[in-house]
Amino acid sequence: MPTHAGTPLIEATGLNRVFRRPRTSLTRPGAAVHALREVSLTVRRGERYGIVGESGSGKSTLLRLLCALDQPTGGTIRFDGQEITGRPERALRFLRENLQIVFQDPMSSLDPRMRVRDLVAEPLVALGLPVAGRVAELLDAVGLPASSAERYPHQFSGGQRQRIAIARALAPRPKALVADEPVSALDVSVRGQILNLLADLADELELTLVFVSHDLSVVRHVCETVAVMHQGAIVEAGPVDDVWAAPAHPYTRALLEAVPTLEGLI
Amino acid sequence: MLKVEGLTVRAGTVELVSDVSFGIAPGERVGLIGESGSGKSLTALSLMGLLPEGVTASGRARLGERDLVGVPESRMKRLRGGELSMVFQEPMTALNPLMRIGAQVAEVLTLHGRPRQEARERSVELLERVRLPGPAQIARAYPHQLSGGQRQRVMLAIALANGPGLLICDEPTTALDVTVQKQMLGLIAEVAPALLFITHDLAVVASLCERVLVMYGGRVVESGPLREVFTRPRHRYTQGLLAASRLTPRGTRLPIIPGAVPAAGHFPGGCVFRDRCPHATPACATTPALTGDGHAHACWHPAD
Repeated sequence: MPTHAGTPLIEATGLNRVFRRPRTSLTRPGAAVHALREVSLTVRRGERYGIVGESGSGKSTLLRLLCALDQPTGGTIRFDGQEITGRPERALRFLRENLQIVFQDPMSSLDPRMRVRDLVAEPLVALGLPVAGRVAELLDAVGLPASSAERYPHQFSGGQRQRIAIARALAPRPKALVADEPVSALDVSVRGQILNLLADLADELELTLVFVSHDLSVVRHVCETVAVMHQGAIVEAGPVDDVWAAPAHPYTRALLEAVPTLEGLI
Repeated sequence: MLKVEGLTVRAGTVELVSDVSFGIAPGERVGLIGESGSGKSLTALSLMGLLPEGVTASGRARLGERDLVGVPESRMKRLRGGELSMVFQEPMTALNPLMRIGAQVAEVLTLHGRPRQEARERSVELLERVRLPGPAQIARAYPHQLSGGQRQRVMLAIALANGPGLLICDEPTTALDVTVQKQMLGLIAEVAPALLFITHDLAVVASLCERVLVMYGGRVVESGPLREVFTRPRHRYTQGLLAASRLTPRGTRLPIIPGAVPAAGHFPGGCVFRDRCPHATPACATTPALTGDGHAHACWHPAD
């Protein structure tokens, strides 16, 4: 098991993201929506960091900022010691090589007109890295037969599609993998397969994992550290077992109570 | 009150639901669980007479004295939204985006013969009953102005409008946040006359239902009182589902069911679960019957 030791890989300080609603008056600007308020977090090398929150809590906005898919209106993010905020896309190559993302819905995050081979090779092609043999290697790593390479996404089940998305994310041999609700669109029997696969890969490739979920029990299984988000702010953060056993913030308690479990009832 | 016998749903030659039988007593809350592609939603849609074109149901289903399967649309129209009603998974697609909320609730009342004025007043009462704050304002709002949880409450108000005897809920909380889900489940438990609750989330069923039916491959593979089925599952599929639903401590392997749910029409003959079952033997090539009083299971090699 990775421990809390290790040097920081992702450091975010005082992140703010304000969106503007469309203006409704000629004289005044549109209302401001504070999607993130003063969010700071540190993810260490080899750590598995969970982010929990409900829809609208700002977790997806935070992820987009961490992946430099969006720019914050305030605050800084450093990845592996390098500032990533305020850079143009062409100066983000080091980030694209080292940080990859798996999205929630494997249906909409895979181009239906591309073969699996091209999907998995796309990050390599985009970064100008050699492809040779890597696709077969990756498909094997995520437990898909080599013959899948010639097929299209619609020919696969939800769980298999999520495996394809993971293979694609791992293509450039990233140091960190960001997973945005990777199992919430999956059936429970398949959920275990994908969570086991993520754990194996994280061990094998010594990945740093940022794992976003609305379900604290899933985060507890995967991660050692958790941050709870509510209304754009981190209301509680710490070792997941501590937060689970003794939630300090009232919102964390409400969240824990609301998750239906089998243990309490049977 | 609801009695289903030998319900079979076919699309052409492919059997999507095979020989499903169960009953629901007045006031009883029954859960129907299974993964996507197991035939849960089709079972519900066939009871509502809402099967898509080219898909046909046969068998018998009676609600009180009335037949639900194989009756003409004109008769179903009077039952649907009256004697039995349904809440769907996606409240955004189920509501009409161009109609005010109040008008949508009133519509189901006027369709079943209430005068317009009375329907309008009653619709505000119904919105209040599903605990929407400021029901009069909500009645004038459009669906996009409401949150997901509020929309699902509106769906529930519409479903309850004519005082149905049976409420069918198809994954009504899947699209909602957990804290909102909790409120919604509490509300459903309070207002439902008799309930058929469809979900893939075992924990949700455990918090709501008294009896449970487990479906896989279009068949009911296990049924019985919730507590018994969940503590002492007999069918290997139920056992696998329960094991996979419990999250083990960090650093340990999660129990899984190998493989994936096959596409419709590609389930194996005999026991539908045998291609994923660790206990399958050649005997499983013959279809096992659902046997047992109360707690029934369809398995040749049941767990103890």
